[in-house]
Amino acid sequence: MNTPTQVYEPFRAGLPPLGRYWKSLFSRRTFISEYSRSELREQHYDSAFGQLWLVLNPLLLSAVYFLLIVIIRGSSDSMRYAHLTATLFLFYLVANSLTGGVKSITAGQRLILNTAFPRIMLPISAVVIAIFKFLPTLAVFLVIRTILGLPFSWQMLWAIPVLLITMLLALGLAITISCINVYFRDIASFLPYMTRTLLYLSPILYEASDLKPQLRTLEIFNPLFPILDSWSRALVHGQVPLASHMIIGFGWAVGVFLIGTYFFLSREREFAVRL
Amino acid sequence: MPSVSNSHKTNEIAVSVRGLGLIYTTAIDRRPTLKARVKSLGRGGKQTRVIRALDAVNLDVEYGQVLGIIGTNGAGKSSLMRVIAGILPPTQGRIEVYGSVSTLLALGVGFNPSMSGRDNVYLGGLAAGMSREEIDNHFEEIAAFSELGDAIDAPMRTYSSGMYARLAFSVAATVRPDILIVDEALSTGDGKFKEKSLNRIKELRSDDRALILVSHALATLEDVCNDVAWLHKGKLVQRGEPKTVIAAYREFLQVGKSAAIDEDV
Repeated sequence: MNTPTQVYEPFRAGLPPLGRYWKSLFSRRTFISEYSRSELREQHYDSAFGQLWLVLNPLLLSAVYFLLIVIIRGSSDSMRYAHLTATLFLFYLVANSLTGGVKSITAGQRLILNTAFPRIMLPISAVVIAIFKFLPTLAVFLVIRTILGLPFSWQMLWAIPVLLITMLLALGLAITISCINVYFRDIASFLPYMTRTLLYLSPILYEASDLKPQLRTLEIFNPLFPILDSWSRALVHGQVPLASHMIIGFGWAVGVFLIGTYFFLSREREFAVRL
Repeated sequence: MPSVSNSHKTNEIAVSVRGLGLIYTTAIDRRPTLKARVKSLGRGGKQTRVIRALDAVNLDVEYGQVLGIIGTNGAGKSSLMRVIAGILPPTQGRIEVYGSVSTLLALGVGFNPSMSGRDNVYLGGLAAGMSREEIDNHFEEIAAFSELGDAIDAPMRTYSSGMYARLAFSVAATVRPDILIVDEALSTGDGKFKEKSLNRIKELRSDDRALILVSHALATLEDVCNDVAWLHKGKLVQRGEPKTVIAAYREFLQVGKSAAIDEDV
């Protein structure tokens, strides 16, 4: 008698067998790349004007915010504009992961009801799409930075670990919110308010060093605060980021990712009956 | 025609379902929201419903068998298919599957209506664990079988329900899985395509694959199946010769109908 290729048995509460899950996820990595590609193509980001819009949109946003800063503070300089653009672009990587991720499970209903696959593929794809949208803006920032005449230095390479931390955080947030949206479908409509609040609570329109020390004790509650400050220090100022900020940012990212993934994996087997 | 050879012999076991029970909790609201939850706070209304979908079901499917599943709405037919396909985990019991499974459940292929049929076929295949080369090899045949023509590159939201069903069936039947599960997909499509898909099913049957068909089209099932199982309220009522089981089911439906009429009076 043959051995069965698949055995399905009742699962105990908690996680699916992680080794098998990872193997099945890894074997479907082409899905993630194919999905992101067709999604970007469908949003016309494969055409020249689509690419232009991808860059133009955050650029216009940063121009609007710069105007705001000039009006409120009375004056401003090129360093501040560079800081604003760099942090705003990185912020949009996180915000786009959230807006793309929130509906990834509910929009994938047909696929989930008909096919057995690791559900976590869907929010991962949303983050990959957000990263593809982010990369051209990073190139644009480097051009802006050159035009503004800011000096380049080796310390700027610290931006790489900061970017990796941000991606991990974005992934954790997307996984968490996609799962919450299955149970509360109106989370997607609250999301713009949440991201807007996060935008103002993060050192984007201002620099972390502008804040009063009393206010800065609260920064530990905003995962984006240390990350964006480190990003700006490395990429704009060409300095080494604060060790404490790197550690707090990394801690937040790992924490959100682990908790969100645990939450997702322990729930995903009932998505099919919840959709 | 590219054909994946089948290594299984007739009467070899394909799917074994033992003591299967399925109980799940689902939201009462079609679209549960935080707003609704907050508004009902303190009123103690229930948000979820527990559904006993399947109860102690034992079912063996052998290669070379075309098993029809019949039963009234809510009998647990689709749930049983989803458990066999690994989409829903069982609450009790054990399911063993000997071979590759391709599912064509009620809603069919395609999850992103704004993408083209081509993209959806690729994404669906990749999600099911196929490689890009495998899909490349099958794609021409899928497109030809579905008779969609140029529409294969149009967004799926422009498709009619018949076109949807045709594409879905083409994918599932062309891939030539060891075990094919088809849920209610035969009832859509025009007469010509229906005949074509029935022929394909007979072809797969003679090829010693295992097929499980869920349908309300009793005449069709009687024609293609060599075995029929009747589910009622999550329990397996009868299993055996298509003629006998379908006749019993027809009688049950008649009785149910007249009972309902009596109640109305």
